[in-house]
Amino acid sequence: MQLTGLLDHAERLLPSAVGDTPAERVLAGKLIANLFFEDSTRTRVSFEIAARRLGADVVNLGASGSSASKGESLVDTARNIEAMGVDVLVVRCAISGGAALVADNVKCAVVNAGDGRHEHPTQGLLDLLTLRRHLGDLRGKRVAIVGDIANSRVARSTTHGLAALGAHVVAVGPPSLIPSGWRNLTCCENITISHDLDPIVGEVDAIITLRIQMERAAGQGIASDYRFAYGLTESRRARLRSGALILHPGPMNRGVEIDDAVADDALSSVIFEQVSAGVAVRMAVLLQACTAVAKDTQSH
Amino acid sequence: MTTERALHFRGGRIIDPLTKRDETGELLVVGECIQAIAYGGKVNAPSHAQVIDCGGAILCPGLIDPHVHLREPGGEAKETIATGTRSAAAGGFTTVCCMPNTNPCLDTAMAVRFVEGRAADAASARVFVVGAATVGRKGDQLAPMASMAHAGAVAFSDDGDGIASGGMMRRVLEVCKTLDRAFMQHCQDASLSEGGLINEGPVATRLGLLPWPRDAEEVMFERDLRLNTRIDARYHAQHLSSGGSARILREARARVGSDRAHRISGEAAPHHLLLTCDACDGYNTGAKMNPPLRTQWDINELKLAIADGTIDVLATDHAPHTIAEKARDFASAPFGIIGLECALALYAKALVEDGVIDWPRLIQLLTLAPARLCGLASRVDGIGTLTVGGVADLTLIDPENSWTIRADAFQSKSRNCPFDGWNVRAKPVMTVRAGEILFDATCATNPSQALRAHAPR
Repeated sequence: MQLTGLLDHAERLLPSAVGDTPAERVLAGKLIANLFFEDSTRTRVSFEIAARRLGADVVNLGASGSSASKGESLVDTARNIEAMGVDVLVVRCAISGGAALVADNVKCAVVNAGDGRHEHPTQGLLDLLTLRRHLGDLRGKRVAIVGDIANSRVARSTTHGLAALGAHVVAVGPPSLIPSGWRNLTCCENITISHDLDPIVGEVDAIITLRIQMERAAGQGIASDYRFAYGLTESRRARLRSGALILHPGPMNRGVEIDDAVADDALSSVIFEQVSAGVAVRMAVLLQACTAVAKDTQSH
Repeated sequence: MTTERALHFRGGRIIDPLTKRDETGELLVVGECIQAIAYGGKVNAPSHAQVIDCGGAILCPGLIDPHVHLREPGGEAKETIATGTRSAAAGGFTTVCCMPNTNPCLDTAMAVRFVEGRAADAASARVFVVGAATVGRKGDQLAPMASMAHAGAVAFSDDGDGIASGGMMRRVLEVCKTLDRAFMQHCQDASLSEGGLINEGPVATRLGLLPWPRDAEEVMFERDLRLNTRIDARYHAQHLSSGGSARILREARARVGSDRAHRISGEAAPHHLLLTCDACDGYNTGAKMNPPLRTQWDINELKLAIADGTIDVLATDHAPHTIAEKARDFASAPFGIIGLECALALYAKALVEDGVIDWPRLIQLLTLAPARLCGLASRVDGIGTLTVGGVADLTLIDPENSWTIRADAFQSKSRNCPFDGWNVRAKPVMTVRAGEILFDATCATNPSQALRAHAPR
């Protein structure tokens, strides 16, 4: 299965991702452009480190300081950067479907680094890798995704991945933040919904808590008692099963969806492991993107 | 005495929604008017009359579309009054009512006169103006509706937006009542559809697109109906997309009673009868409409409402946009599709082939019903009917003609049609406005030749 293969590959790359062993600089001479039309810390740096560890050159472009601020369209910007001879475009944008739209209009490889509310595939992969390293085979495991499901591309990508690997996914949040038809997000039948976190806490193998996305108007959908109802507080952490994990895609609103003591809990929190896994996942993805383009060119 | 141009239609299936006749016969046009109709017989035609053998095709009043966007002024890259009305004529429509969401907006008597003037110079099909009800369609100040009505506005609408404020809605309905003009509402409570792009449901959720739920349409519709209970203006809900709205309309008409039910109406558009939100998959901007495509349940409910007479107006909501605009990402691409040149075949497919209604009823929904909605008879005698002495606006329809929709061949300036490539049946073969042939598919395969108006020999 392609997904498992990619995760296996990322897992093998993990020591070199975090700098424990030197990586083979197999992408030397390749040029990778980070087109980040939306703010990002982790993902942009993670892609850059992944590319550099593999020996590729990297250029970074953000929305401010580019012609996007003059109204140039996503596609036009991407085509201009492509014309300068890049091998991979890593695209982050606020537009659902934006990365696919770029891919339809350029010949080089395109990696989706998060498009609007749609998908964030490398985040989904790094969640899977992190979970797999602790829990082993994810088949039959129960994972809760808590919070702003409606506005979260992470929730979509991670749910697709977990469902594909046979895990059971519980979406937890207020009705305003769980969109219609969520149960049918994938063709798998292992997605359930709960509006009450407390009965879920003690019965899952992991909780992925999401950031409340104020910039995507989620603010209107939540009340001031969000932490009371859905926050990962110490008392909730105390009711976790032994060995259960806490994940968060970052950036965290400490004291809202997650308390300090939980975020930094040595036993259950794997939030910084997620970040490390992210580099490995992105190395694997960039390697595959470059190989795919090379094969594509040969076949022509 | 000069010889007046004459058209002698023979062997047509003549359908008149006013007299409810549906018989084979002959029809004679002299000058701009219908001179004679002979159901089951022959008319006494002058020798110079151009003979048109209908071959059993349907001869009916010229089709009327009460909801199109001609984009002039301000949107001429998308459509103009000239191209939009040629598109109408090629689709069998002799009359269109254009919406006021142009730039500048049609919210003054001067703007109404501008469109009427451009139409007089350049139009193929007739154009009537639907004026904005509020200044700039912003919903916070009444537009000068009395002077606009005087200048020719046949109805009022802020189409593109619903009137959000209940207080403003009440004033608009009161003014429309005094002016004896219909108010056409674009039912969309923006607080419920904020940023919404497609129907709420699994497709929206999977694609990560904000939902535009049925509630947003139904809530405003119900509010308006409640307000209009006392005011009794001629109220019309545009492009109904929700099955719930169809039920709301049915209940409202029953509530006011049969003598006043005709004061409340709703319209359906072809795309809401044939496509679901699944068409948006893959971020297909070609299926991005406002209100959005919904589900098979909604289609079924809308068809039921058309079958039982609840919905008694059909409209295309012809909304031209350039290729570049529709090539944008899903959120930035504009809402809307063009419909004039394939609407008739699509209505036939959705409603007649499916047994929802028959041809005479379909003709009524496309002629007499919109003529009454917009009070057009006061402007053009006999419009929307086949009346001896009335205007000779006619459409000849071949209900059995199978053809493939090709957006590239459209007269419209735009190509944004999700029905491109569909195989359909029923085709307008001739369009006549005031005795003048605007479009004749039988005389040439080249549509531009077909559209050239030609005098009788």
